[in-house]
Amino acid sequence: AFGLYFPRKEYLENVYIDEPAGMPLLRIHALKDSYEEAAHFHLCQNLIISRARSHENNWFQIREKTGLLYLSKSLDRDDFNMLSVGNWMPLSKVMLYVFLSSHPFQENECDSATRTTVFLSLINATAPACSSLTARQLCFTEMDLSFHIKENKPPGTFHQLQLPSVHHLCQNLSISYKLLAAEGLPFRYNENTTSVRVTQRLDREERERYELIAKCTVREGFREMQVEVPFLVNVLDEDDSPPFLPNGTDTADAVVEFNRKEGTVLATLTVYDADTTPIYPLESSRKKYTGTIVTDDPWISETFRVEHIFDEIHFSPNGSQVRGTRHEYKLVLNKSISVTEHRYFQLDVLVNDTEFHGSERSVMLHFNVSILPVSIQFSNVTYQFTVNRNAERFAQIGKICIENCMKFHGVNITYKLLSPNASCYPVGILQGREDKYGSLYVNDSSVLRRPECKEIQYTVQATDKQSRKHTKTLLTVVLEGTLLKKEEDCPDSCAISKHHAECEECGGLGVLTGRCQWRQGSGKGITTNYSTCTPSIKTCPDGICDVVESRDPAVCPQDCTSGNIIGGHGKGIGNLGIKSGHGICYCFPRQNCYCEKDDIKEQLCDEVCKTVI
Amino acid sequence: PPGPVGQDPRGWRVPVDCVRANELCAGEPSCSSRYRTLRQCLAGRDRNTMLANKECQAALEVLQESPLYDCRCKRGMKKELQCLQIYWSIHLGLTEGEEFYEASPYEPVTSRLSDIFRLASIFSGMDPAATSKSNHCLDAAKACNLNDNCKRLRSGYISTCSRELAGSEPCSRRKCHKALRQFFDRVPSEFTFRLLFCSCKDRACAERRRQTIVPSCSYEDKDRPNCLDLRSTCRADHLCRSRLADFHTNCQATFQSLTSCPGDNYQACLGSYAGLIGECCPGAGRGSLPPRLHPCPSPSSSSPGFDMTPNYIDASTTSITISPWCSCKGSGNMEEECEKFLRDFTENPCLRNAIQAFGNGSDVNVAP
Repeated sequence: AFGLYFPRKEYLENVYIDEPAGMPLLRIHALKDSYEEAAHFHLCQNLIISRARSHENNWFQIREKTGLLYLSKSLDRDDFNMLSVGNWMPLSKVMLYVFLSSHPFQENECDSATRTTVFLSLINATAPACSSLTARQLCFTEMDLSFHIKENKPPGTFHQLQLPSVHHLCQNLSISYKLLAAEGLPFRYNENTTSVRVTQRLDREERERYELIAKCTVREGFREMQVEVPFLVNVLDEDDSPPFLPNGTDTADAVVEFNRKEGTVLATLTVYDADTTPIYPLESSRKKYTGTIVTDDPWISETFRVEHIFDEIHFSPNGSQVRGTRHEYKLVLNKSISVTEHRYFQLDVLVNDTEFHGSERSVMLHFNVSILPVSIQFSNVTYQFTVNRNAERFAQIGKICIENCMKFHGVNITYKLLSPNASCYPVGILQGREDKYGSLYVNDSSVLRRPECKEIQYTVQATDKQSRKHTKTLLTVVLEGTLLKKEEDCPDSCAISKHHAECEECGGLGVLTGRCQWRQGSGKGITTNYSTCTPSIKTCPDGICDVVESRDPAVCPQDCTSGNIIGGHGKGIGNLGIKSGHGICYCFPRQNCYCEKDDIKEQLCDEVCKTVI
Repeated sequence: PPGPVGQDPRGWRVPVDCVRANELCAGEPSCSSRYRTLRQCLAGRDRNTMLANKECQAALEVLQESPLYDCRCKRGMKKELQCLQIYWSIHLGLTEGEEFYEASPYEPVTSRLSDIFRLASIFSGMDPAATSKSNHCLDAAKACNLNDNCKRLRSGYISTCSRELAGSEPCSRRKCHKALRQFFDRVPSEFTFRLLFCSCKDRACAERRRQTIVPSCSYEDKDRPNCLDLRSTCRADHLCRSRLADFHTNCQATFQSLTSCPGDNYQACLGSYAGLIGECCPGAGRGSLPPRLHPCPSPSSSSPGFDMTPNYIDASTTSITISPWCSCKGSGNMEEECEKFLRDFTENPCLRNAIQAFGNGSDVNVAP
């Protein structure tokens, strides 16, 4: 297989005006996939001048066998000016690609993916004298010494520390290198060639990063200068580890009971892999690591699906941290399951590491699935509610709920009142779209006032939409209390009242006992606990515009208003209602709400009063 | 003073903007037909296959001499998106698209930080360097509120970005980004930079600075995507790609200058930083080119909120760390590249020096 590759993506070198033909610029190396391979280097395309211009390459060539890039023709000032056109920066950069092949170069072979980029900075000056260069410039280029080596590949030379151009120009200087912190590591520095070699096959799952130091010593007569730079080697991963189970766990229980909704995660099993899995691009990684339900039963394949997510985790095989992958396979309901369904079975999921070339490329996961039926029934034999005769329309009396109703997900229960065969029926039942319970409320307050209506019996029916299963129970509504005289000039909404006294004098839509209730807030800044007048502190304001409140904007504008709120306030979820307010909040239904400090008390104390104190 | 037509004093060609270049080319039959050919060559093909085709190569050679080749765009210009579309219609196929750093399609910034300081001291009536005890971020907010335009657009984005929605999303990120984009494009940098890059001595000030762009809506998200994934999404969109290329061009740290910034130009780096804040796709496909040529992901596509908006990662006063909302977790064999990309934000000496210089009210004295 053609497995030659470059140990780095980019190379960088400076080129000066009038450097002679034959001037060596830089050495490029290639690493192999197998011992037999021989690397051939070549340049194919034009020079790419930054900003998308290109020009025929008349100046640079590479030695096919050694990878030495050199000047084949001197770059004079005219060449420079030509190559700088279109460049805005004072410093011009040209770019060329070096291609790699395992056999001698043939024409039109330049679309190979194996290439590296060489950036040449064109410097508008003749090469500086060796004595004017710093040790840093004499020893290393501006680029980091950072390399990548694939794991499980044969050893080979991947870098030459000496800069060919400096070596060529500054022969009177003695420049020597050393590789520090390399003891016990699989890298060897050759002093004669200044080249660095990886001495054995690397294993990323053992160690994925090597941090060495390249040290350079420049001697000129008796002067000596030293520079140290980091020398980094990253080990590239390939799929050479099979999936495995943490603690050997390959089985999990999946119980379907109250939560029967499509999308419910029933159980999760985890598979580890010592290899890395890139999350970018996501879809291709998902395809490489598959999880499929093994079944012939069409009902199972319709009802369940497996969702695969993965993330990076760390292993520490021998002190050093290496990255690995945790794959999670979640058994998910693909559709809502009927309350009558009742089954037990084992569901197998085959996980396949498709790029691993070995026999243990797959593992089988087992889910013990229990689908339990749930009964639709009322736990109380009968419901009894008392209602004050002074309650107003939309007063909330209580909630109707079948056994475990709040635990249900994906079960649609509807509640209905079967009216008695009498003339007294003051109450109704309402249910929000996602509500699991029914809210009992006063539907017709005039009935409450009629003396002949005292105790009213209803039958409540709860029905499961999907299975049409239903259950019934008895509901007794007892009317109590004596009728109060209605205050005159009272508004129909409690929320209009701005003061404690006027609030409790009046009634309004939604009140339970004929009178509105005052909520005294903390009075500190803009708070959720603001002062306000409400039909019932229990339900209004509670931050939720419930199904009864939403029937009439006069019931609880504090939870339901979508109009303007004047004064310091915060709006509720979805821009509905007053979540928090400053001082007292009051509302004119279908119009504005106001939140303001009640400052009458302060007005009582005028200048005279202050003087007395 | 401008030199001869089409030349600046240093002898470089001064490019026209791409909208104008497109008009010039359209008026010339040979240019317009070559341009059409080249666009067909580039559509859905990589550079190498394109260059192998004789007709495509001929078109390229002719166009190298046309004004389209060197054309650029101006930040916030009237038809900015159309201009960028024309720019990338040529450059996408030529610059490989897989380069780590891309050249900016924008004209270089010639103004300097010192210009801002001069203006700032005129309207605030004080030298910003002298008021060492005050909360600079609060002063910046006050200065903005005293200017009608700044106040209007600032309160515009703040109310949009802090509006709570029903359901799972905390706010409309798309609208928030659009409002932020308008603020940074339409309000002069005297105001916007003071808000973004104010210097702080205590946490309250630094927290205010961090909160400038309403990060809970415009920046943070449930998951942190991989930075390379983020970059590829950004590059699929003309505006985001251009702003990112501009950031790389103006903020890429270099050893060859005193300040680590290209050309020692702090103003250019801060400007391209501010250019990254906000919306991904304004009015996608409104330009003259068919939108299908270079698809722009719709805001509701699979990766909502994917964008390059950078911000301060915490309210630290001692160290300034900037990052887009991404991490290098899950990079596989590309981890080195991912970290290099992220470091241009988190450990960039040019960007850090530029922010500090702005906060201190100091600029490099470089003869322009």
